Amino acid sequence: MTEEKKPEERKKRRTATEAASKVGPMVKAALKENLRAKEEGRPIAYSFIFSGYDEIIRAMDIVPAWTENYAGVCGVKRDAQRFLEKAESENFSRSLCTYALCGLGFDSWREELGEMPPDPPWGGQARPTVMLGSGQIICDPRYKWYQAVQHYMPDVPVYVGGLPYPPYEDDYDYRDVQDYYVKYIVEELRDLVAFLEKHTDRKMDWDRLAEAVDISDRTWNMISEAYDLRKAVPCPMGTGDAMNTMVPMTFMMGTQEAYDFFKDLYDELKIKIANKEGVIPDEKYRLLWGGGLPSWFALTDFNYFNSKGAVFPAEVTYRLVEPVYELDLPKVSDPLEHLAWRWVKYWSYRHDKARKRPGSNPDVERLIEYIEDYKIDGVVMHEAFSCRSWHPGLIWQLNQLKRVYRDIPSLILESDIVDISSYNEADTRARIDAFIDTLEAVKSQ
Amino acid sequence: MSAENSTGGLDIVERYYQGYGSRARELKKQGKQIMGYLCAFTPVEIITAAGFVPFRIKGDVNEPITKADTEMETIVCPLVRSWFDMSLKGKYEFLDGIVIPHACDSISTTYNVWKNTLNLPYSHLINMPHSTDEPSLKFYKALLNTFRTSLSKFTSKEISDQSINQAIRLYNQNRAKVRELYELRKTSPPLISGAEVAKLLIVSVSIPVEEANQLIDSVIKEVKQRGAVPAAKPARIMVVGAEVDDVTFIDLIEDSGAWVVADDLCPGAREFFDDVDVTADPIDGIVERYLRKIKCGRTFREKKGDYEDYLEERFGHIGRFIKDFGVDGVVLYIYKYCDPYGFEVPAMKSYIESVGAPVLYLEDEYSMSTIGRLRTRIQAFLELIGSK
Amino acid sequence: MKSQYFAGVDIGSTMTKVVIMDQATITSVIGPTGPEHRKLANRVMEEALAKANLSFDEITYVVATGYGRINVPFADKQITEISCHARGVGHLLPAARTVIDIGGQDSKGIKLKDGRAVDFVMNDKCAAGTGRFLEVTAEELGVSLEDMGRLSLEAKNRVEISNTCTVFAAQEVVARLSEGVALPDILAGLHEAIATRIYGMVRRLKIEREVALTGGGAKNIGLVKAMEAKLGFPALLPPEPLLTGAIGAALLGKDIVREAAEKGETLKVSERRLTEASIFT
Repeated sequence: MTEEKKPEERKKRRTATEAASKVGPMVKAALKENLRAKEEGRPIAYSFIFSGYDEIIRAMDIVPAWTENYAGVCGVKRDAQRFLEKAESENFSRSLCTYALCGLGFDSWREELGEMPPDPPWGGQARPTVMLGSGQIICDPRYKWYQAVQHYMPDVPVYVGGLPYPPYEDDYDYRDVQDYYVKYIVEELRDLVAFLEKHTDRKMDWDRLAEAVDISDRTWNMISEAYDLRKAVPCPMGTGDAMNTMVPMTFMMGTQEAYDFFKDLYDELKIKIANKEGVIPDEKYRLLWGGGLPSWFALTDFNYFNSKGAVFPAEVTYRLVEPVYELDLPKVSDPLEHLAWRWVKYWSYRHDKARKRPGSNPDVERLIEYIEDYKIDGVVMHEAFSCRSWHPGLIWQLNQLKRVYRDIPSLILESDIVDISSYNEADTRARIDAFIDTLEAVKSQ
Repeated sequence: MSAENSTGGLDIVERYYQGYGSRARELKKQGKQIMGYLCAFTPVEIITAAGFVPFRIKGDVNEPITKADTEMETIVCPLVRSWFDMSLKGKYEFLDGIVIPHACDSISTTYNVWKNTLNLPYSHLINMPHSTDEPSLKFYKALLNTFRTSLSKFTSKEISDQSINQAIRLYNQNRAKVRELYELRKTSPPLISGAEVAKLLIVSVSIPVEEANQLIDSVIKEVKQRGAVPAAKPARIMVVGAEVDDVTFIDLIEDSGAWVVADDLCPGAREFFDDVDVTADPIDGIVERYLRKIKCGRTFREKKGDYEDYLEERFGHIGRFIKDFGVDGVVLYIYKYCDPYGFEVPAMKSYIESVGAPVLYLEDEYSMSTIGRLRTRIQAFLELIGSK
Repeated sequence: MKSQYFAGVDIGSTMTKVVIMDQATITSVIGPTGPEHRKLANRVMEEALAKANLSFDEITYVVATGYGRINVPFADKQITEISCHARGVGHLLPAARTVIDIGGQDSKGIKLKDGRAVDFVMNDKCAAGTGRFLEVTAEELGVSLEDMGRLSLEAKNRVEISNTCTVFAAQEVVARLSEGVALPDILAGLHEAIATRIYGMVRRLKIEREVALTGGGAKNIGLVKAMEAKLGFPALLPPEPLLTGAIGAALLGKDIVREAAEKGETLKVSERRLTEASIFT
């Protein structure tokens, strides 16, 4: 007869900053808070990050349940498989977004049992009052996932609102269309408020919304300035930490807490720079994480890079802000209109720059900008098999970067966000080793 | 099932199917301009009104995907990858441009790759919203006007309301003819096979709409003249899925002893059963058809009423087809990496089963390597429904 | 009343099985399917006929099933393993509502109602949920396939194999062995991994008791125990798990003959030839 399995022996992940190390407990506390909110009868909204409604939810005192986060937690704790399998048993394809599969598996199981699945990671995810999707360009799961999980919770209303941004095109400039984009977004956000007022007992506090928007503007600036400090040599904070600090950026945007977090981070980085304290003592290679969501179960890979003398001063993933003062936003009194302009201008930020370089586009420009500003030696991309929002186009971006800028060493890792069965540690480390060799060879030329 | 006098429409269909793109190539030599496009959500009326021949980019199940992998990720829907592979391999060298709608992730997030590797003189992404509320309709209208302006600039010719209305008329005729064709599938046994219909529809979106209309007419005429067919009475199957632009799968079902008599596919009923309403501003009618009328997983419909009503709203048309076409079983045929339909499966399956039809759910990869596996499953399914 | 004989020929990717029955099974032959046997299904048939002391002409109806069913030119009908396993289990274990067949290169789940298949799932693409997984890892570990199951039951601390890909799992397993992990613990982990894979697939059918296990995998005591652990209750096993498909095929042949007689229809039989299947058919 088989006995209990041996506990997994894994090295604990190390973060470079105090700020990043605070995040784990923050997430745990937030999940606990959600469960308490549920017990107290406060309205809970399943939400997607970076969907334009952070400030709206905060202003209405609605508790967000970030379902992507919960799937990430299951991934980090390496306890996502059973939920992925449950989703598969419901006939969801394993090739779908594994955040969604994890959530669908968890929720369908919870609904079946009438209580949390056994031993749920960090207490589990409570049944929501409403579910807020988004019909943006960012991804299909944002309007399919909650519709699909509604099959198991038919009484929970689902909202899907449009939040598009102008694509980078040759036959017109974004300024030709920005007005109707903004108009549409404002209407959708207004509808969202109406939806929330209808399906929860909350009413919008417009003054509070204006405040929250103001805080988030300032937080955008603070994040940008803090992250800009990572240009220093040696680099005081890497992408490994940024995968933690994305938490207040995406789960707490619009709150004073988020602003304070990044102010603290800024101060901390300033001190490290003054003391010439880098992520690692002997910094040999500076890398750009050029795209792709991380493998949440393999964040220790960043420590592995560190052990080879490589740091990541910059990343594209989860750097979801730009300095608001550089976005050229019109002055408007309606906070919803401000949010709409901020959204459109954020996505169009590098359009003008891209037009000045033949063959370039905003994504490639961003890579070039970071390579130059952060003194980057090589670019790493991660292809997560289940995500068709952030990942198609990365190969082309790398190819184009080399075509229009310079032939910079690059590495493409392949795995997934949450599904650990796609990950082979030995293979990944071998690829990293080979990449380091390439970087060394280029450096010594 | 072979037609008696095969010098007619079905022969032409076969020729254009095997040599996909040959007619467009001919037309290009005659000085016509060809506009490539993806998916049933591209407003072909506007493209036709602008003076182009819309050409639906198609994949090939028999052609292993090779070149595409150098620029496009393998986690993209295999259909899109095959389309891209064929394009990179020069099969559609006659294109003057490409129009891509924001249908789903695989199609829209690869737009940059399409645009920047094919290097066609014209490319445009129609950033179609996913919702069907009033603001979304207005937004979509604005997008279509941007598209119209862009096309006019490219051709240096204004696109008049009149020309759009004319195109709408032709396409509505086209859709009516397809519906007439489908009536021939209702008999027992159907007068026209699923494979014949599939090839005809696939071909029809690769040639000018006037020619497609003539072709459908001649096929209907030819088929109606067929003599009685021996009634072996195998099962009547409906195929439901996203896009099936290759006849291989339909052949597989029909070779296993069943008729494919109905579908919810593109090209298929989904693409041809709804017309553009005649409206004062023709763009309004186009907006309504593409955003609201077409029932596809990529379009989010709001739930009004209870959950049963919601399923009926989303999938009721499938129930009606099952009834009207005497369907014995439904095959849900969805490619791996398909987001809009992958998420639909449990709800769709439960709805179809609730109206009394057995369902076979198949996930496939758009390649010949899976044929043996598919054949076993289809055969098992047919045995299952046969033993009722 | 003259006895009628029915034959079921099940050509699996690993094993070929022939059953001849009248009211009950008279004889059965099980042999390995090499590339040759697929072409030489008739040889196995001849062996079975010899054992039963019958001539080929005395067989009323032959049904072929399995992966190689198209290579049986003397068969009167080809029916998929889904229908055949359902019919076989319905006959042998009437209490079963779900069948889990674990083969050498594929695995299946079948839902039964009134002794017939009403739904099914299959895995014939990924080796990780099949006997192949054990074959590959047995080779890596230097253990005989026959001992794998028994040894796995001696585990004290079952190891978790995180890789679901057979190739990577084999690597992982070798690594564990060299770390000094006990062999039974590793084997238990492997069996658990397969059971997880198979269970995950069959769950799509909404499993109903009783559950019958068939196929080569059902002869592996370690795998049977691992499956029962997943199910949470004991499974039923037919007397010879490898024969359910062939028995079912023969029985379906019997059903076809009886239906034809009841309807007064002439039976469609194949042009009987006990010769090699040509490569070009």
